[in-house]
Amino acid sequence: MNPSTQSTTAASTSLRARPRVRPAYAAIAVLLAAAIAIQVVRDRGWKAYEPENSVMWLRSGDAAKRAALSYDELAADVYWIRAVIYYGERRLAGTHRTYDQLYALLDLVTSLDPRFKAAYRFGALFLSEPPPGGPGRPDLAIALLERGVERDGDWEYYEDIGFVHYWWRHDYKSAAEWFKRAAERPGAPSWLLGLAATTLAVGGSRESSRQLWTELLNNVDAAYIRNQAEHRLQQLDAMDTIDTITAALQRFRDRTGRMPSSWQELAAAERWRGIPVDPAGVPFVVDAQTGKVDVAKSSPMWPLPAEPTQGPPR
Amino acid sequence: MRQIWLGANAVFRESVRDRVPYSIVVFAVLMIAASYLISQLTAGQDMKIIKDLGLAALSIFGLLIAVFIGVGLVTKEVEKRSVYGLLTKPLSRAEFLLGKYAGLVMTLAVNLAVMTAALYAVLFFSNLMAPEGLRQSWEAPAVDPRMLTAIVLIFAELMLVTALALFFSTFTSPLWATLLTLGLWVAGHFNSDLRNFGTVVDSAPVIWLARVIYYVIPNLAPFDVKGEVVHGIHVAARHVAYTLAYAAVYIGLLLTASVTIFGRRDFK
Amino acid sequence: MPAIETEALTKDYLVGFWRPRPYRALDGMTLSVESGEVFGFLGPNGAGKSTTLKLLMQLIFPTSGSARILGSPVGDVAVRRRIGFLAENPYYYDYLTAEELLTYFARLFGYTSAEAKTRVASVLDQVGLGAERRMRLRSFSKGMIQRVGLAQALLNEPEVVFLDEPMSGLDPLGRRDVRDLILGLRKRGCTVFFSSHILSDAEALCDRVAIVAQGKLAASGRLNALLAFELQGWELVISNVPEALAATLPARFGSVTSLSHGRVALKLAADAEPDRVISTLRAEGASVESLNPIRHSLEDFFMQHVRSAPQRATGL
Repeated sequence: MNPSTQSTTAASTSLRARPRVRPAYAAIAVLLAAAIAIQVVRDRGWKAYEPENSVMWLRSGDAAKRAALSYDELAADVYWIRAVIYYGERRLAGTHRTYDQLYALLDLVTSLDPRFKAAYRFGALFLSEPPPGGPGRPDLAIALLERGVERDGDWEYYEDIGFVHYWWRHDYKSAAEWFKRAAERPGAPSWLLGLAATTLAVGGSRESSRQLWTELLNNVDAAYIRNQAEHRLQQLDAMDTIDTITAALQRFRDRTGRMPSSWQELAAAERWRGIPVDPAGVPFVVDAQTGKVDVAKSSPMWPLPAEPTQGPPR
Repeated sequence: MRQIWLGANAVFRESVRDRVPYSIVVFAVLMIAASYLISQLTAGQDMKIIKDLGLAALSIFGLLIAVFIGVGLVTKEVEKRSVYGLLTKPLSRAEFLLGKYAGLVMTLAVNLAVMTAALYAVLFFSNLMAPEGLRQSWEAPAVDPRMLTAIVLIFAELMLVTALALFFSTFTSPLWATLLTLGLWVAGHFNSDLRNFGTVVDSAPVIWLARVIYYVIPNLAPFDVKGEVVHGIHVAARHVAYTLAYAAVYIGLLLTASVTIFGRRDFK
Repeated sequence: MPAIETEALTKDYLVGFWRPRPYRALDGMTLSVESGEVFGFLGPNGAGKSTTLKLLMQLIFPTSGSARILGSPVGDVAVRRRIGFLAENPYYYDYLTAEELLTYFARLFGYTSAEAKTRVASVLDQVGLGAERRMRLRSFSKGMIQRVGLAQALLNEPEVVFLDEPMSGLDPLGRRDVRDLILGLRKRGCTVFFSSHILSDAEALCDRVAIVAQGKLAASGRLNALLAFELQGWELVISNVPEALAATLPARFGSVTSLSHGRVALKLAADAEPDRVISTLRAEGASVESLNPIRHSLEDFFMQHVRSAPQRATGL
């Protein structure tokens, strides 16, 4: 029902009919053309912010990323919190604990937000922790970190892979290799190069372990890692003390032909001021039969990490 | 101009008296509660999470305001017939519509400003309480002015969504207008997939159609730089400028269409 | 120059969802309202009164025909400064107070805020809402909202006022106030165009009326010219009727209605010579209470026109 065709010519002079649409159509067409032009120009320099290698490893996370609309960052946070809670829960779960969901959760988090550095780094720590404190899967930890490497190649991921090789797989050659690659990344700290050299020379030795943890303590700021490093360094101190005690026991036995009857007797012979305690303040225990010195089971230092059985490649 | 300004003021007053303040309060409580709880839960990532949560809440609350109030602006007046009182005043239909739009944009601006202030306040206090070591592990400082880039783009996006809601509400029912606006908002965020349709599909007409849709429907993905900003990644000034220009042109288009339709409409 | 003129104003609505057909709500309405008149626009519900008013306010667009207010085509924004409009069952914003709403409208009319303030206070007093000015409209009764509607229609001291069913929702007191208000406007020289389906209002107020039915103008003109003031008959009320007389009344007078307190109303034809009838009845023992002439009322006129109006055309 177009009013202009209906009304008579006489009427149309005084009638304010509906506004004409033709100018509006023209304006809309011009504006649409402008909108398209701007998009074309902008798109030359703009790529939707997507993870570069999405096709390669966006798996379960793919669907989640769609579902999260533009809130994939937030969804990643939600799943990260879930992963942390899951890990913490399982640690307290008693005997039947499994960590089978952990990797899937971390996979989802890093798919949703491929820049979620903590998810890679802490995720790797969680994954490589041996039972009962974790699933003991350094292989998955390395797989997770390698995706981080693929994404933007931050030196931290290289360093963390080296760390997993070093600490959990005792693969000092690979560890040294990854430390070296980390050192070559832009923005990498200089101490990595030294760490790589030490690891290659005396990997697995207490000296190189101490260097690794000291560097982490001094250079990494995440509280979780710092606590871990402090703990490990204290364990290394305890191991040093155990060596000292073992030597003293040996001297005592060489001199007297018997084991000391008490810590006081050994301390008096060695002219120690007081009896030896570990960094947590708990006295050491000695196996009367073998003469083997260890931290007490009640000490937070227990259990001490196993010393490598094979010597480092020289 | 005076008439538009008067209309905008009325809309602003309505939304202030209506329900918008509640959304701000909900937002602030949510932010503070969430940031406190989360900082207890997560391994050193609380700053990132507060920012993600804050920016997401900012854009969701803004979206809700833009869509629901935006749709109601015109449909409610027409349905309850209060439009009869206004349109018989010396106020053209275009002025009426633009006043409504300006009023809601004003409301959105105030709302976003308050929420931004709340977010920065939470970040400021979290920053104060964080140990120095933790602070250095963040990819971006806690109180990071670069977040304003994301917020400005969110505002631009919401202005566009408001214009969209207004446009649909000039010729459909409130329910349809809401659904269409939300539908286009979702489509607008997936839009960039259409651009690269050629890599997935082989049929030329389909690719061509996808291209047309990509360029015609509002492209909202470029407005979303939340991820970049949270991770301290630089957002090119050029990108921001083009996106803002795009928003201005597209809003102009929607308002022209709205005024055209509204100007010819019968209020039975 | 007439204050309002319409020429062959016609409006079709499309009805039906799948195959919309035009429905003629208003058919060739031609009217002219002189300046300073109170003009009643009468008709039953759905006759096209509101359609005409909305066309005059350009809330809807005509299918054909034209209309002018104060010499300008309708829809001219400038002319709206000089007119006032009250919609049928008006609604304004719940969240505003009466004062705020009117101030907003006054500012739209171009008053400065100081002018608006005095103007708003004066119209609120005029419609009797002076005491409720600070209350939110949410808490207003239907009648109070109607008064707010009147206030906003009078805000700009208009030259022409359009009132759509101004009496609806008002109690008897409110109706009297509105009548006084309209008479006050006429005294001031303001043209009033009001629609109503309540005829007594029109009878009391209007200089001229138009009657619409089925979308068409059925009749228009001065009230006393439209209504033939010829005598239709007489109503005679008697009492103390003896039994013998009572039995014969139906046969002699046809229309007999028993009233309270033993009174009986009789309808006499116009040529019945009431003097003669009264003396006869008195002689038979009855006493006379009252005698009234029956004239053609607007209502009868209205009914007659509405009934005889042709069926509304559907389709073109």
